[in-house]
Amino acid sequence: MFKWFINHEWKRATRSNVWHKKVATNILMGFLIFMMMLYLLALGLFVDVIIRGLYPDQDPVGILNGFLVYYFLIDLIARFYLQQVSAFTIESYLHLPVKRSTITHYVVLRTITSIFNYLPLFVFIPFAVKVIAPDYSVADAWLWLLTLIFLVFTNNFIISYLKRQLGSNPKVVGLFAIFLAIFIFLDYFDVISLSSFSTFAFGLIFTHQITVIIPVVAIIGVYILNYNFLRNRLYSEEINIRKHKKIDSIGNIRYLRSIGLTGELIALEMKLMWRNKRPRTIIYMLPLFVLYGFFFYPQEIYQETFGFLIFVGVFMTGGMMLNYANYAFGWESSYFDTILTNNISIDRYLKVKFLNSIIISAICYILTIPYLFFGWEILLINTVTFLYNIGLLVFVLLYMATYNKKRMDLSKGSVFNYQGIGASNWLAMIPAFLLPVIVYLPFSFAGYKIAGLMAIGVLGLIGLIFYKSLLKIVKNQFLKRRYIMAEGFRER
Amino acid sequence: MEGKNNEIMIEVKDLSKAYDGVTVLNIPGLKIPKGESFGLVGNNGAGKTTFFRLMLDLIRANSGTVMTKGKNVSKDENWKFHTASYLDDGFLIDFLTPEEFFRFTANVRSLTEGDLSEFYILFKDFFNDEILEKGKLIRDLSRGNQKKVGIAATLMSDPEIIIMDEPFNSLDPTTQIRLKIILNDWRKDKNTTMLISSHDLNHVSEVCDRIVILDKGNIVKDIHSSNNTLKELEDYFYTQIYAQS
Repeated sequence: MFKWFINHEWKRATRSNVWHKKVATNILMGFLIFMMMLYLLALGLFVDVIIRGLYPDQDPVGILNGFLVYYFLIDLIARFYLQQVSAFTIESYLHLPVKRSTITHYVVLRTITSIFNYLPLFVFIPFAVKVIAPDYSVADAWLWLLTLIFLVFTNNFIISYLKRQLGSNPKVVGLFAIFLAIFIFLDYFDVISLSSFSTFAFGLIFTHQITVIIPVVAIIGVYILNYNFLRNRLYSEEINIRKHKKIDSIGNIRYLRSIGLTGELIALEMKLMWRNKRPRTIIYMLPLFVLYGFFFYPQEIYQETFGFLIFVGVFMTGGMMLNYANYAFGWESSYFDTILTNNISIDRYLKVKFLNSIIISAICYILTIPYLFFGWEILLINTVTFLYNIGLLVFVLLYMATYNKKRMDLSKGSVFNYQGIGASNWLAMIPAFLLPVIVYLPFSFAGYKIAGLMAIGVLGLIGLIFYKSLLKIVKNQFLKRRYIMAEGFRER
Repeated sequence: MEGKNNEIMIEVKDLSKAYDGVTVLNIPGLKIPKGESFGLVGNNGAGKTTFFRLMLDLIRANSGTVMTKGKNVSKDENWKFHTASYLDDGFLIDFLTPEEFFRFTANVRSLTEGDLSEFYILFKDFFNDEILEKGKLIRDLSRGNQKKVGIAATLMSDPEIIIMDEPFNSLDPTTQIRLKIILNDWRKDKNTTMLISSHDLNHVSEVCDRIVILDKGNIVKDIHSSNNTLKELEDYFYTQIYAQS
């Protein structure tokens, strides 16, 4: 039976309307994955050399074991955002003489094909062969490797369980995240040491071989968890329709009501963002955008060169807006005809898009204010990049968004979902990130760093002052492209 | 109601639309007076939806114009203020509840709270307790109920022009009859210009004063309603079959 399932899935993928459009992206992704494999393989082959260089007197196996717990934590977080738990249409099989358990096992097992399960092997296998086998024994190397492989797949099943829960019971995911966060915080403030725990725990493999049973139990446990979860949800009506679920009152804000049609349109998009899977995944990415600065601000070298921090600022205050405005019209592809035929003037419609972009960018900006902790320059950088985003970048993005004519399926969401993304969207990103730095550099070379930052802000303010004329340009573009967009959006 | 006034509501001139060089619609001229209920009939691919989309400025014509109230729809946005339409589920916003969608539509068409409550009273029977206060999003409703939402929203604001593509399709029998009653009442009382397409010859002949048959993008028959309309329509399609064989 599995053979048929796989056969049907392959046909469904290759015969889909977007398959030929996706070929180019697939080739690119394949190439990236291949490069990644090479890097990881190199890392696996030389990681012992690196460790010996950094910690000359210690056992490299112990050191690497100390990092493993962090690896598995990062793996979990990365998978949460990147790994897809794509839907398998079970409806077509439920009425056939196929055991429900067979279908369920298939749905659970198909997640193991994810590339995330195989990339780490490129590091683990060379290390086991090159370091553990000679230093310890071949048997130890096998045990160590098997333990890690079991844990990798445990992570795989944890994530597929959490992502499925996200749909029906997001609290479980929240609790799990809080649980992880507590550990990370305790470790960060040296209350506990995850790294010494990790060295100890993975060291047990060599002293007490029986401990290999723990990951085996773990993997069976999470497998059963997944299986039971899905087995109880095999009725298609329960999958598709969430009955008796209280409809959220999002967008029912009195202020929005009071400002008439503009408020109504803003409320509509708030509902769009919250009630559909794909835009919701982008909302979940908000912490990633806002926390981005943490990677750079603590490091001295970035503090001196503002050039890079400007880039960070544009990204943090504008990344979410970029995600929104790039598809400003694509988001509404499923009901674009309503927008065009109803009593909504294009001027007002575009103004709403502009306002929404500002709101989104402003939220990100407010969230980055605490970075003031790293110095007032950081706040200044983020303020001027915010002004640039809402005064200039937004118009470029809205203009470019009219070139996006692919229908977007809002119910399918993931970070690496390129459906509905055309080359135009990538094109829009280049000036987005480069222009502020280009404006800043001449001032910086002349020694006026602060003036350079101010120049970026002034540029944004000028854009805000002349927003009506800039929106007019977008409007003319929109009018030119409206038939092409509407036609593209209608194509399923 | 014919002849009450001869003001032309919609005027089509030399309208044509082609895809990849194949002409799918070609209408040299057509005038629809105010208050007429205009039926459009034709087989699949005859160009009915294309025609409606051109009237709603949703696709670009290769040549010609559609004027409503004397204004070209592709040049001037004013037609939106007096035209309400429902062609397909692309006109529904499926992640809203029906109530939210009606409120949105009311707001877009500048109706008051009072107008909205009046609308709910008027359409109470039409909804048959299946639409409102169900706590469901439109996308979770059945096809028939989705269609009810779309049609009701179209009829909400007392528009001067109504354009509906296949409104009777996928409605249950009771609702089909209710819709016919509503449309016929409006014909008598409100002087609304209605454009309706259907595959069901019975339905169109019951609600339309004038019926146009499209075939491969051309108008092949233009019938003003009489007692024989249905017979005339059926005869046309019968002869089509015999002509082929």
